[in-house]
Amino acid sequence: MRHGLAGATYAFGLAALAAVAAILTAAMAIQYVGGELPCPLCLLERLALFGAAFGLLANLRGPYSARFTGLCLGFALFLLIVSTRQTLLDIYPRPGHAYVGRAVFGLHMPVWSVLIALALLAANAAKLAILGGDAHMQGVRPADFPLVRRAAAALGLYVLGLCVINLVSVVVQCGLGQCHTTGYALLP
Amino acid sequence: MMVAVFAAMTLALAALWLERRTLAVAAVVTSLALGAGLFLWEIWSPETGFRMPWIQTRLDAPATAEA
Repeated sequence: MRHGLAGATYAFGLAALAAVAAILTAAMAIQYVGGELPCPLCLLERLALFGAAFGLLANLRGPYSARFTGLCLGFALFLLIVSTRQTLLDIYPRPGHAYVGRAVFGLHMPVWSVLIALALLAANAAKLAILGGDAHMQGVRPADFPLVRRAAAALGLYVLGLCVINLVSVVVQCGLGQCHTTGYALLP
Repeated sequence: MMVAVFAAMTLALAALWLERRTLAVAAVVTSLALGAGLFLWEIWSPETGFRMPWIQTRLDAPATAEA
């Protein structure tokens, strides 16, 4: 029973981490393939997703701790605050303010970010309601679940790679100053 | 500033990968704090502060007899 609960907890973590990694991949594909530069608040929304991935990954790779669930929830809340403010900034079209980029399935990125933040919060709430706290994870080692260990290692490396690419991209787009969506600061 | 925010997050993920958990947590908390500060700086305006006057939440005052 305890082993089953631990497996379910790890499965939740892997699924959530894969979803976050897919969302970050899509955002970066839109930037590099679609040619849409992210605005400063869009970059902060990416930061929140990397932070949520950090919390999920920490629980998958080492001793399970509710503190990392708390970090994941904290970054999800940060994502909700930033994306809600950005939606309210752009919801009323006026000079100099409009949704950045094109709509995906009818919704713009900040609106998607609100939904993603709510999904992260709801998924964590459901996990806590169904599986309980982390008492069943005490003494459980990821090494007891070889598939989880391998998948977490691969996803962790992938998310780290995305973060490195994003850091280089931010350096090229913003330099050491403000970020603009009109072009890359360090490119001619 | 944005570079510092993402540099801290990259350090956090790299430290987590290398099993340096204390460093990883310190870096991710630093990244969140810098990000929150940058968010407040980005949304603050010299004219309106943190308010959003383009979102009308009160009805206009009723017209007076003189008007």
